[in-house]
Formats: sequence, C-alpha cells, structure tokens
Amino acid sequence: MLEIRNLHVTVEDREILKGIDLIIRPGETHAIMGPNGSGKSTLANVIAGREGYTVTEGEIRFDGKNLLDMDPETRACEGLFLAFQYPVEIPGVANLYFLKAAVNAVRKYRGEPPVDAMDFWDLVHERMELVKMDESMLKRSVNEGFSGGEKKRNEVFQMAVLQPRFAVLDETDSGLDIDALKVVADGVNALRNPERGFLVITHYQRLLDYIVPDHVHVLVNGKIARSGGKELALELEAQGYALYNEEPGRARRAAA
Amino acid sequence: MTATAPLFSESYRPAFAGFVANRREPDAIARLRREAFDRFQTLGWPTRQQEAWRLTDLSALQSITFQQPADALIDASALPTLEGPTHRLVFVNGRFAPGLSRLPKLPDGALITSLGQALTTHLERIEPYLDRLPGLERHSFAALNTAFWEDGAFVHLPRGTMVEEPIHLVFYAAGSDVTVHPRLLLALEGDAQATVVVEYRGQGRYLNAPLAELALGMGAVLHYHQIQEEAPQAFHLGAIRARQDRDSDMNLHLISVGGQLARADLAVLLDGEGASCAINGLTLARDQQYGDYHVRIEHARPHGTSEQRFKSVLDGKARSAFDGMIHVRPGAQKTDARQTSRNLLLSKQAQAHSNPRLEILADDVKCGHGSTTGFLDPDAEFYLRARGIPATQARALLVHAFANDNLNQIRLTPLRERLARLLAARLALDLAEGK
Repeated sequence: MLEIRNLHVTVEDREILKGIDLIIRPGETHAIMGPNGSGKSTLANVIAGREGYTVTEGEIRFDGKNLLDMDPETRACEGLFLAFQYPVEIPGVANLYFLKAAVNAVRKYRGEPPVDAMDFWDLVHERMELVKMDESMLKRSVNEGFSGGEKKRNEVFQMAVLQPRFAVLDETDSGLDIDALKVVADGVNALRNPERGFLVITHYQRLLDYIVPDHVHVLVNGKIARSGGKELALELEAQGYALYNEEPGRARRAAA
Repeated sequence: MTATAPLFSESYRPAFAGFVANRREPDAIARLRREAFDRFQTLGWPTRQQEAWRLTDLSALQSITFQQPADALIDASALPTLEGPTHRLVFVNGRFAPGLSRLPKLPDGALITSLGQALTTHLERIEPYLDRLPGLERHSFAALNTAFWEDGAFVHLPRGTMVEEPIHLVFYAAGSDVTVHPRLLLALEGDAQATVVVEYRGQGRYLNAPLAELALGMGAVLHYHQIQEEAPQAFHLGAIRARQDRDSDMNLHLISVGGQLARADLAVLLDGEGASCAINGLTLARDQQYGDYHVRIEHARPHGTSEQRFKSVLDGKARSAFDGMIHVRPGAQKTDARQTSRNLLLSKQAQAHSNPRLEILADDVKCGHGSTTGFLDPDAEFYLRARGIPATQARALLVHAFANDNLNQIRLTPLRERLARLLAARLALDLAEGK
C-alpha cells in the first residue's frame, strides 16, 4: 500500500535521505530503527507532507497514487496518519471539537454526511478506553498542559478514532515510562488488522517488544543499511549502531 | 439642523455659534458647551507630533468636510437586536428614535431615557455627572463631543437599584460626510447594578465621535459592552471616561470590527479603596483598517485591582495600536494591576504596535504587563492539516481559538453567541462542520 522508491530528500540544501526504498503491504508492520540524526523523522515528515523538505529524486505512492502531489490534509483524508514525535499544543481548541472536525473533514472528503452526534460519542468513549484516557481530556485544549505520556496517548487515541489505513508512529515511545508504553502499544496492537499498515519509527528496541514488527529496517546516514525480521531489532539492542559506520547527528544538525 | 459644521476648516466658531443658537437648553448645559468649545480651541486638532496621536493618521478625515447630519429614516431590520427582554434606546444620527426604542417597566427611581429629554425633566440628576468626571482633559474629541452633542443615553440608577435586563443602546449613523457626537451618561449610585450593551453601526462615510461617561458609586457593579461595527468607510473616534468609588466593580468588553479608522480612548479612575476594573478588548481588522486603543488606568486608592486584556487579529494591510498606561498614585498601596496585549498577524503586511507603560509611585504594589505579536503557529496549522482539516479551516480554527478566549469573558449569553457567530463569519469558519 505504501511504496517508496529511491527517495532523496534535502533540508536547506543538505541531503538527509539518500535513496530510500521501502514497500509496505496491507497488514504489515514495519519498524525503522536508527541512531539520532539518521533521517528517521525526516522520512515520517515527508510521508505526512510537512513543509521544509525537498524531494529531489524518487517517489512515494500510496495505493498507487502519487502521495507527494497531495497536500497534508488530502493525505490524511486518503487514510494516512502520522503520530507526531512532538504533538503540538493548541490552546483554545478543545480536544473533542478538534477530533470531530477531523472526522468530519475525512467524511466530507469521502462524500459522506457529517458524523451523527451519538455515534461519534459512542466511538469516542470506546476508543478512550482503549488508551485508558480520562474523559476530562476531551474538554481540555488539544495537548495543552498534557504530560509527555498524555500527549502520546492522545496521538494513539486520535488514530483510534480516525481509523486510518496506514499509520506512521514517529518515536511514539520516546519519553514514556513502561506503563505508558504498554498502554500505547496495546492501543496500536488493537488496531492492527489485515488491511492496515504501520510504520513504527523508534530509536529503541524496547517498543518492539510490545509492537512486534514483521520487518525491521536500519536507517543510517540517510540510507537503509540493513533489513530483516524482528530478530534484527534484538541484534541492534545487543550491538548498537556502531557496526553501520554512522555519521551521527547529521540530519538533526541540518534540521535544527 | 442642516447647518454645515466644517470640522476641519478654521471656522469652527461660526459652526458652533450656529449649533448653539438653535438649541434651547438650561444655562448650565450651554455653559458646559461653551467651556468645552473653548477647550477645543486651545487644544486644536490632534497632530502626529503629539505622542498620543503619533500612530493615528487622521489625514483621510482632514480631506473631508463633514456636516451636521440630516434626519434619516432607518429600517428597523438594519439595527442589531439582543434576544430576550431588554431596555432599548435607539439613536439615529445622534438623535433619539422613540419609535425604534422600547422601555419596559423599571425599578422605582431608575431612569433610562434620552439625555435630551432628561435635560427638561431630570436636570438635577444629570448635573452632578455630566462633564464632571475626570480624565481625557486634553482629548480634542471629548471636548468636541461636549460642545456638539445633540442627544444620547442617560441611565441613572439610585442607590441599591438593580436593572436585571440588559440596557441596549444602539447608535446608528447614516449619511455621506456627516459627523455625529452621541453622548452616553451612565451613573450607578451605591450598590446599583446594570448590564449595558452599546452598539455603534451605520451606513455611508461618516465620523462618529461618541463620549461615554461612567460613574460607579460605592459597591456598584457595571457590565459594559461596546460593539463597534461601523460602516466600512466610517471613522470612529470614541472616548470613555469612568470613575469608580470604593469596592465598585466595572467590567468593560470592547469589541472593534468596523470602520476604516477606529480609535477609542479610555480613562478610568479607581477613586475608592478596593475598586476593581477589568477591560477585555478585541479588535478584528483587515484590508486597510486601523484599530487603536489608548487606555489610562489611574489607581488613586489602596487595594484596587485592574486587568486589561487586549487582543487584535490583523489581516491584509490592517494595523492596530495599543497604548496602555497603568498609573499608581502615591498611597495606592496593594494595587494589583495587570495588562496584556496580544496580536495575531495573518499577513506579512499587517502591523501591530504595542506600547505598555507603567508609572508606579507607590512601593507595595503588584503590576505587570506583557505584549506579544506573532503569526499563526505553522506547527499547529500542520498538526490540524495532518488530521485531514483543510488549510483554510485549520487557520480559521486557530484564529478563532485566539479570539474566542476574549469572547468567552462575556457573560451575557445572547451577545456572546452573536459575537461568536460574527467572528465565525469573519473567519469563514463553518462551525456546523466542525461541531
């Protein structure tokens, strides 16, 4: 469902991604691991359509459609979801209002009428339990004053409500204690099904104990240095990234 | 009444002589007018060399010869309404329009009427207040208003009187190159309470220069809302002065969306211990609009509190100015005064000027001010878009969130909801879509 071919991306004239090839089929969960600055978040942001990234070569196709031609909202409406590494605080916009606006934007795109208020409420309540989120968070402004764990949980909650066909999780585990990590992983696992694809980006192997991937890729210095099964994650845990001759921090420095 | 009053020529004196010759008024009022006119002659027209008028470009007015307005017939549907029971006074071109007004029964002793009528029936209740409140002594337009006002609203609530229904004062101006000087006098004696909604609207190119005087006795509570929705070509140069006695509580909500140039000068004197004043201002401006607030809060007694929260949302080549002075007199200990000015720019050509000022002559006070100006947060916009919300709606949502915070301070529900709809329409935000 997601095909990335020979993707080259620059940020402010520095090449961060240097030819990525990746194919993810429906039902598959892929993990991308790599040291800081290897280009992991750049890949997530390019898939979601954030400004400031220039694709100089290659393409990304989503169900055969050219993803790079679409603006971010169209990608979301087509069924793509990015769980942000740093969820943004939006004072004055209530979480529930925001979610409903998002659900209805997607429905409008599909030519469907706005969601029925009762149906929406039922869905929200069911999904809140999935990530053990407190109802009071619905009335609060989006992510405002949320703890790190609450923010990440809110991302998974949004994903559970929006039910995308393909989701990118950008370091959703960073900053989470083990209990919060389990909650987030349970939420993701509950959404896994034969039609839905996931790309899980992480720095640590730990998350992959809970979200067990079908494929693991090691991203180093803008290239996929190695691909393998879930056992590759364990190998990395034991040996680190030193084998891959990394140039640490390059993408991070360019993006800063 | 059709005598020309060429405001911007040298010849104010004949215009003033013609104006007062037609009026039969008590001597005391005629004297106030003469004194105010002399004051205006001394002050002259504001120039940009004066610090207080440095940012306010009046050149667009100076090329126009404004006249006294003729009477105008207004379709009632052009006038704003408030849901629910209200005491409603409508003024068209500064003159009372009884046919468009409605006054339900009032508590004993309370008076809500046109100032012109009250001059003949209740002069003794007007005289202690009219042009007696301190502040704006050097404001040319306040002086002009006192010299030239034709009519206006008079609200006098004796001690302990509570008027539960909102007092809705609508000022509508219509005409081409006319000038109106409506006057508002609201006097709340001790422990009196009122909710007032003042609305400025109109059609055509005119200059509206209203002056509102608010007197709050000991323990009085006033909720005062001013909605400036003048016609797009209009000029609004308004002024408000207020004096608060001990433990009185004044809440001002100032919403400014209309006019090509709109400025309001406020002078509030906290003249009794424990008096508190909250001012909540919101300006929406676009195209070439200019919106300006000049505020002076004077803490004269101990234990006073004041809070100013001003915001502006500027699109196109719009500009806003905010000049806020908190002055704490010696002896006004335990003053707690705060002020914020926050401006959101929606275009690179928009400009916001903020000039917060403190003069503190007491040593045991809490005073603070803050000012921010910036564009929409691109990260927030991307976050919303990444969830499927189209770019225009995402921007509208963010602007709405910024401005709605101020509207939420308004407790008068029908007004708050109407203003929320106005804001939504301005932002082309389809609320139904998101709700």
